[in-house]
Amino acid sequence: MSDMTREFVTAIQTNDIPVGGIAAVDVRGTRIAVVNIGGTYYAFDDTCTHEQCSLAEGDLAGTTVTCMCHGAEFDVRTGEVLAPPAPMPVKVYRTRVEGDALQIEV
Amino acid sequence: MAAYVIVGASLAGATAAMTLREEGADGPVTLIGAEQEAPYERPPLSKAYLRGDTPFDKALVRPLAFYADHDIRTMFGTRVIRVDPSERIVELEDHRRVPFDALLIATGGRNRQMSVPGSDLQGIYGLRTVRDADRIRKEIVPGRRVVVVGMGFIGSEVAASLRQKGLDVVAISPSKTPLFRPLGEAVGQTIADLHRSHGVRTIFEDTVVAFEGTRRVATVVTRKGLRLECDFVVVGIGLEPAVGMLADSGILLHNGVVVDEYCRTSVRGIYAAGDVANHYHPVFERQLRVEHWHNAVKQGAAAARNMLGRSVTYDEVHWFWSDQYKANLQYAGFHTTWQQLVVRGRLDSASYLACYVNDGRIDAVVGLNRAKEVRRVMPLIKARRAVDLEQLRDEHVDLRTLDVRP
Repeated sequence: MSDMTREFVTAIQTNDIPVGGIAAVDVRGTRIAVVNIGGTYYAFDDTCTHEQCSLAEGDLAGTTVTCMCHGAEFDVRTGEVLAPPAPMPVKVYRTRVEGDALQIEV
Repeated sequence: MAAYVIVGASLAGATAAMTLREEGADGPVTLIGAEQEAPYERPPLSKAYLRGDTPFDKALVRPLAFYADHDIRTMFGTRVIRVDPSERIVELEDHRRVPFDALLIATGGRNRQMSVPGSDLQGIYGLRTVRDADRIRKEIVPGRRVVVVGMGFIGSEVAASLRQKGLDVVAISPSKTPLFRPLGEAVGQTIADLHRSHGVRTIFEDTVVAFEGTRRVATVVTRKGLRLECDFVVVGIGLEPAVGMLADSGILLHNGVVVDEYCRTSVRGIYAAGDVANHYHPVFERQLRVEHWHNAVKQGAAAARNMLGRSVTYDEVHWFWSDQYKANLQYAGFHTTWQQLVVRGRLDSASYLACYVNDGRIDAVVGLNRAKEVRRVMPLIKARRAVDLEQLRDEHVDLRTLDVRP
């Protein structure tokens, strides 16, 4: 998809994600996980690249999310794999806050 | 410039090779493996790969090109027959010699074999390698009858996968329950129930005394006199560490290769990691050998750092998972016996946590569909302190806030 067709879509209200919290949202058919790290929001594919578990059901520590099924770790800022068994990174999305709304670029 | 040689192109071996490069090894790194394939992860072999749900490529530790790209010399399909610590060489089956300054043994293990009459009939399979998995996959046709011998992790997972593929599965174990030795009767019973609820016929406290058939196995005969008609058999009765090439090396061998908490064998400059390594664990203050994915990754990396002279203690709390049907079973820690089994939730439900407790201290934990709590218990296991067992049992208490006795 080219940048021309991307747009920011309201995904969730910011006060629905406390600091240190993770939420999963459906944005135009894609399941996306959103985290709040000290008031900064990061969004990435909710589906672990290993065996399709939900990363929003995982644990967040600093900027690392750990998948509960098999322990894979990702950097929520870049999607990079920090620990196996995930074979590839998760896609990350840009976020912005508009009023009380958290918007994700899809 | 030191030469680094790794025997065993396994998950532990490949992880060690990658770590050596990541941490700046300046000499040649050679990865030698008996299997033809580039290093791969074995967990899918009894699950997603066996069922045909994922391709083999997804199991590769790294794509094949990775090794050349990172200046790791690979010798796959190459068997090492001898290690000579005084000459500092490993000898290959074609008698070529590969010199080393630092050597890692990451050879894993071989399946224990059945020795009853008829064990050499066709249609009887073990499962360790991707080739083994491919042989079993060829037998998978819905409605065919399979007997799974052994209800450890491999047997249990194979039984689940084959049942999911619509085969008629009979599973037999000498123990009272599946996973009896690692998890005990109460937890094992829940796994037996899981298999039965999916239509597996389970037979416990009985053993196979013979396989019968003309060329192919057709009947499994048990000590109690059962005759189980079948189309094929999968045997999962455990692993023996692969140490044959070390027989005359002088390296101390006992239930694998004996190493200390720095992954060092009894011979200077020679290390071991993964399934083959009977390692001293500083948390549990004893030697132990485990056959887990997580240990292969973590110990492989730790061994590499020690080969580089970093003196890194390997003290990971062992952890593993076993997916069966839709259930996610996870275990962490180490235990052999226990005074109390402290359960959060109910063992007869779809989700519980069970802690193996000695002297008020959690030695190990198993969770069925409770991954988050298993992870939260791991620091408590490592702390080796008595915890408040009432709080541990109380589902309303966050395990991160549990009172720990000084």
